[in-house]
Amino acid sequence: MKSKKQSYYQALLFLSPTLIIFITFILIPVGFSFYLSFHKWNMFSSERTFVGVSNYVQMFQEEDFWRVLKNTFIFTVGAVPLNMALSLFVAQGLNRKLAGKKFLRTLFFTPVIISPVAAALIWRWIYDPNQGLLNHALGFFGVDPINWLRDPNWAMTALIIMGVWKTFGINMVLYSAALQGIPKSYLEAAVIDGAGPWTRFWRITFPLLSPTTFFIMVMSLISSFQVFDLVYILTSGGPLGATKVLVFYIYENAFKYFNMGYASAAAYILFGILTVLTLLQVKFLKTTMYEAV
Amino acid sequence: MNSLTTQHKKVIRHGLRVVDHVLFYTLALLTVAPFVWMILTSFKDMSEIFVYPPKWLPSRLHFENYERAFQAAPFGRYYLNSLFVAFSVTLGQLITCSMAAYAFARMKFPGRDLLFYIFLGTMMIPFHVTMIPSFIILHTLGWIDHYQALIVPGLASAFGTFLLRQFFLTIPKELEEAASLDGAGRFRILWQIIIPLAKPALATLAIFTFMGVFNDFIWALVVINSEEMRTVQLGLAIFRDRHVTEWELLMAGSVTATLPILIVFFSAQKYFIKGIALSGLKE
Amino acid sequence: MKISRWVTLLSMSILIMVGSCGNSENEAPQSDVVTITFWHSFVSSTVPALEKLIDRFHAEHPGIRIKAQYIPTGDALIQKLITSVQSNTAPDISWVHADYLGDLVEAKAIYKMDRFIQGPQGLSEEELRDIYPALLTYASWQDTLYSMPMEATNMALLYNKQLFREAGLDPEQPPKTWEEMYDYAKKLSTDLDGDGRFDRVGMFIPIFAAAGPMSGWMTWQWLPYLWQAGGYLVEKDQSKVLFNSDAGVAALTLWKKIFEELNLSTFTTDYDIAFSSGFVGMSMDGPWALPRFNKIFSHLDWAFAPLPAGPEKQATVAGGEYLTVFKQSAHPDEAWTFIKWIIQPQIQAFWAMESGYLPMRKSAQDYPEFKQYLEENRNFKIFVESMDHAQAQRKIDFYPLQINQYLAEAIEAATLGEQDPRTILDKAAEKSNKLLAKARSSAKQRASE
Repeated sequence: MKSKKQSYYQALLFLSPTLIIFITFILIPVGFSFYLSFHKWNMFSSERTFVGVSNYVQMFQEEDFWRVLKNTFIFTVGAVPLNMALSLFVAQGLNRKLAGKKFLRTLFFTPVIISPVAAALIWRWIYDPNQGLLNHALGFFGVDPINWLRDPNWAMTALIIMGVWKTFGINMVLYSAALQGIPKSYLEAAVIDGAGPWTRFWRITFPLLSPTTFFIMVMSLISSFQVFDLVYILTSGGPLGATKVLVFYIYENAFKYFNMGYASAAAYILFGILTVLTLLQVKFLKTTMYEAV
Repeated sequence: MNSLTTQHKKVIRHGLRVVDHVLFYTLALLTVAPFVWMILTSFKDMSEIFVYPPKWLPSRLHFENYERAFQAAPFGRYYLNSLFVAFSVTLGQLITCSMAAYAFARMKFPGRDLLFYIFLGTMMIPFHVTMIPSFIILHTLGWIDHYQALIVPGLASAFGTFLLRQFFLTIPKELEEAASLDGAGRFRILWQIIIPLAKPALATLAIFTFMGVFNDFIWALVVINSEEMRTVQLGLAIFRDRHVTEWELLMAGSVTATLPILIVFFSAQKYFIKGIALSGLKE
Repeated sequence: MKISRWVTLLSMSILIMVGSCGNSENEAPQSDVVTITFWHSFVSSTVPALEKLIDRFHAEHPGIRIKAQYIPTGDALIQKLITSVQSNTAPDISWVHADYLGDLVEAKAIYKMDRFIQGPQGLSEEELRDIYPALLTYASWQDTLYSMPMEATNMALLYNKQLFREAGLDPEQPPKTWEEMYDYAKKLSTDLDGDGRFDRVGMFIPIFAAAGPMSGWMTWQWLPYLWQAGGYLVEKDQSKVLFNSDAGVAALTLWKKIFEELNLSTFTTDYDIAFSSGFVGMSMDGPWALPRFNKIFSHLDWAFAPLPAGPEKQATVAGGEYLTVFKQSAHPDEAWTFIKWIIQPQIQAFWAMESGYLPMRKSAQDYPEFKQYLEENRNFKIFVESMDHAQAQRKIDFYPLQINQYLAEAIEAATLGEQDPRTILDKAAEKSNKLLAKARSSAKQRASE
């Protein structure tokens, strides 16, 4: 048996490359922005004024802040379940005997690869009310043209559709990898026991996917709460602020109004929300799933 | 009677297979349609990009769009930079993340879970507020406008560590215990037992990292000044400004930027397919 | 995935990395030549013109080398400026948007132009008067000149002559008043397929998301209408905004009326594309678009005309790109040499003909070559002539971007939403005035300290 101390050093050795870089380039900047959230700083000057919690107080009084928070929640609630369901559906489909699986999987992954700028520009054209592909296609089914990006009621839907399109390939790959790992013997045993495909999926496959599901859920939540690039190019927060999300708000305060203290405070609100949500997931999953965490 | 039902079942199963194929190919086609449009646009003349009703095919293939896009800036150099940076970060991350993930998954030390949660927590702070402090640190190190600035901060990844840890957790401990009894050290266990089993996860991480670095814009923008250090995504920005988007050139450039990753993905798939037969089995 | 292969690759990578870093340090500049770094965001189609300009400068100034570096436009440029000022690596010269001048001045990052204008290679009073005054207003902050315009731009009315003919309008008589513009906009709108929606719209009104990068572009195009109605953006002493005056309401009502009656909310925001397909009768744009339009609209019969006159007067908005000299520069005087060289009338004429921008000096028009160029390029001539009634917005020294955003939100809300222009403008004015008051009180506080 190795001594405790020895194993401690060994762990440190394994962690050291990551730790050194992590502390220098992630932890210190993250800590610094926490410090900034109690200051006023315009980024150009070397002067930073301590303002206590007033950035936070001001934020809670801002109508705009509550609105972007609400928009962020709507986006997340719309995008995350859709994304997870679609990616699992596709991964499960590709796990069966389909002709040209490799090719299909590549096709499903292409949206992930395209640079966000080019992708958002293409979608802006697809959503174009007059010349756009989507309304043109819907026209064949007798659907009246929809004003996707100009109508406050549709813009968020448009954003969610595009967001899911752009990212579900990532989760599909993760699910594919996990599905490969499920022993065939388990499923075969279930077939012998007379379980149908539906039962097999929910009773065997899905529980065995739980570590991956946990990972995907945490990551999807983080990334949809931080959605920015797509919003910036597709709708720029419009129409009438209907798609202005939290990171857009942070960006605007930092790089349009040069109010880095305020932007940092908003970032820590985001941090707080995500931490709570992640911990809830950990707690929930610990009680319902196999050793996911 | 009996044979008839088997016959029936066969027909049904066959029918289902056809439906399955139609469904998935349609879905795939819908998914890839914007990309196809991007490729076709890159071959169009400026005047035929936006017509109503939408026109898919270019009147003829305007290969000169690619030529013009490549002449607009030294894209050859930009590609070398992007590929070199993306490759280095990917390689580095595979090493650092698998070591860290192994420590989090298998080693017991005080403060392990706390440290892990701090790791996760940092992912929750959006990049835009840490960008300036990170920049100042790099400046202090004298790395601005050097490859290090693009590579080194990417060598540690909370995402990668988290991803690999989740996969490592699904590998049965028995395999390691056997090796440990044979006198293998932790490093040997990691390299000889864990890594080969975790190929799908490593391949997944590799493709995500490569893609993320290759498509990065804002970080490259702030840390790079000189022409010869620029990356592809910085180069593509010249085709778009506040008022004007040079669609056919931007699309030509973006298609060229997308193809290398697409090829890597297509050929690296076998690594996620010949998967670990063990994930999720931890008693 | 052999580990040994990884290790080889990694060590190779490190070697290449170290090698390349060494290289960039070896590149020592020649001792007697001063290098001036110049950050700009010209689009790729303007870059060849810029290269010609710089070559010409090099030929005349062998002791100075201009290293022009392209920085992606808008937000990217400001992000680079922030980080470079922070790390003491600012360029010698950079483009700066007029709204950011205040922040750079307060950070003591840029020189006053007086340092150069009063210096040995200065500018005379007469030379300064030759620069369009509107541009100098933009180039200043708190009535002090901190930058120099590199060129001028403004807005004019773009229209499709063929559509004019089809609607029974005279293509040589573009609208001259608001009434005519409104009338023509309606006449030019047609429902081609009988589905009750206009497939062709008579006029495009630029409504963009107020929160996004296009919001400044939207308000910039709206300002001429405010002025045409006799209004102002802000009180001269900056005590309150004036865009909610009767003039402001009239200007916004005009936009709202056209926008709603032409049902523009269901129309594309990429108007140039729609224009190219023959779906737009009239729109607005600037001279920088000419080289591109000449190419993409080559199949159309189109022209530019001056913006129509409003109830009060004729007006268009002036703009340009502004050059600043950074205090971190090791060679501010050589940087000024370059700026001073660019703003000479003959160079301005040359630059205008090459780039499609307008000269920032009146006397550039005196050159025979330029005169001839104007005769050959009628659309360009419209812009040059429009400079005579080009106006600058009155400067807002503090919170210019927030106030611009409030105005943009009001324009977006009035056109896309239900409320009437006056209520919306009043609300935006109230928010803006609060910021102006805040700026005043903090200025007082600073003065008393």
